Amino acid sequence: MYRPVARHLATLTLVLAAALASGCASHGVRNPSGNGVTVMKADEQGFVAGTGVESQDIVSVSDKMARSILETPQIQRAQGQPRVVLLPIENNTRFAINKDILLTRVRARLNSQTRGKVLFLARERMAALEKEQQLKQSGQVTSASDPNVVEFQGADFFLTGRLDGSTTKSARGVSDYVLYTFQLIDVRTSAIIWEDMAEIKKQGLDDAAYR
Amino acid sequence: MPACFLLFFLASLMACGCAATGGPTQAGRDALLLKYRAATEHMRLSEFAQAKPLLDDAITTLGGISSGDAAARKARGYFRSESTKSFRGEPYERVMAYYYRGILYWMDGEPDNARACFRSAQLQDADAEQGGYQADYAILDYLDGLVTTKLGGEASDALARARANARLGSLPDFDPQANVLVFFEMGQGPTKYSAGQYSEQLRFRQGTARSTSIQLKVGNQVVRASPADDLSFQATTRGGRQMDYVLANKAVFKGTTDSFGNAAILSGAILAGTSGRRSAVDEVGAGLLVAGLLSKVISAATTPSADTRMWDNLPNLVGFAALRVPAGEQRILAEFLDASGRVVLSREVTLAIIPGTRDTVLFLSDRH
Repeated sequence: MYRPVARHLATLTLVLAAALASGCASHGVRNPSGNGVTVMKADEQGFVAGTGVESQDIVSVSDKMARSILETPQIQRAQGQPRVVLLPIENNTRFAINKDILLTRVRARLNSQTRGKVLFLARERMAALEKEQQLKQSGQVTSASDPNVVEFQGADFFLTGRLDGSTTKSARGVSDYVLYTFQLIDVRTSAIIWEDMAEIKKQGLDDAAYR
Repeated sequence: MPACFLLFFLASLMACGCAATGGPTQAGRDALLLKYRAATEHMRLSEFAQAKPLLDDAITTLGGISSGDAAARKARGYFRSESTKSFRGEPYERVMAYYYRGILYWMDGEPDNARACFRSAQLQDADAEQGGYQADYAILDYLDGLVTTKLGGEASDALARARANARLGSLPDFDPQANVLVFFEMGQGPTKYSAGQYSEQLRFRQGTARSTSIQLKVGNQVVRASPADDLSFQATTRGGRQMDYVLANKAVFKGTTDSFGNAAILSGAILAGTSGRRSAVDEVGAGLLVAGLLSKVISAATTPSADTRMWDNLPNLVGFAALRVPAGEQRILAEFLDASGRVVLSREVTLAIIPGTRDTVLFLSDRH
């Protein structure tokens, strides 16, 4: 009668030894082999995600706005090149963002697709431009034209936008809705000659360990 | 019986071995905590450029959805303690990460991004168990409304919410013309400790603050401001967490397996000791002993202790004041006052106010 018990104990000992060897071998090491670099498209959601403004939103929204601006009659039928200045967008969401990125992408899209149909003015570089002009006026650097003649161009349109958000949070998670609106404003008349919008809603629920 | 000793030895080894592993990755799991602490130090030393990337990392992490986080999943298991999850902090700590980043955005002339941070901060507090304590930081609604007002919007609702939650003093009307914004903080914030039979309950000790208000003097102008929020109050009114249920279950499991182990070992020993060798009763007794030992091992390996890692250099009180200061070089004398109005600490700051530019943002702490 003693032998079966001894056999059971031996088996149990082996099981525990196996658990010791296998169970604890990788204990505390999260994802021990790591993650290789994954090249992703900017318009796809990666495996790291939140409910805020992400690259795929920036790409889809700015692409939509660039297309929409090009379809505007005032742009399509403009005599000469309409000159556009970017005005910083206002962020009225709960997500701190790089506010330049949306308009920069719209501008780059329009410049690359229209090849001069719309002319953007580098107002954000005015300080450097003015300094260069002063250098020319003082004769410290050469000038291809009369440096005393103001050649900085005025804008025909302001391109600007706004992000608005609405958030809901409950035991079932957090839900974020962001409305992106963009406007092209005629600086002579203050008329909004174009406006378009995009909206994105995301939901998620944190792990219970953080709730 | 030698097998029994071997079994016990192996079980002990398993329990001890598992408890000690995981060291190399603990630093990674505490990374955010270290960033929080360092960011606070940099803020107090006016090293805002150094604080910024730390807080950016923090709010990027907090902004992500933690669903699928392997460390968090493991922390919910019976045999891993809560502190093995990657640290994010309790809501009052997460709020402060957003709050500090918001201050820096405002300093950089991006009040709308600052407002975004204040809104996200308020959302961190929306999980409080009782509705009256949900999203109840007065300062966050007040700052949200002030930014909106400065940007030309209407924010009477935000002001009403802020005033409804202001427990430490009244809040003035918004002054959109105010060009110097003073963020101040006082004292030592709440501290965490664990309670309960198995340290499974997360508790907070109230923080302390010697100074309870601030007086700002610029030229002939004297402004006295009270703090708007108390982090100890916020920490202690959050109520139960989802994780508390997990830890309570772990504690019950630990207690049950421990009690069963005691009973089985005792019964097994009695049975084995009262009958003859190699009898059926002796065998049952030995089996009970083994089962008891196993149960004790499982109990010992169960870790229901609450996570008491904490952002330990937070203030206890935070507040805000807005001033209209004329252009030019201006000296501001900030005096931290105690409850009886005596000056605990004074600080003089010289500011160059340039008209028509961004707001001048001042961050003052009585800790440095």
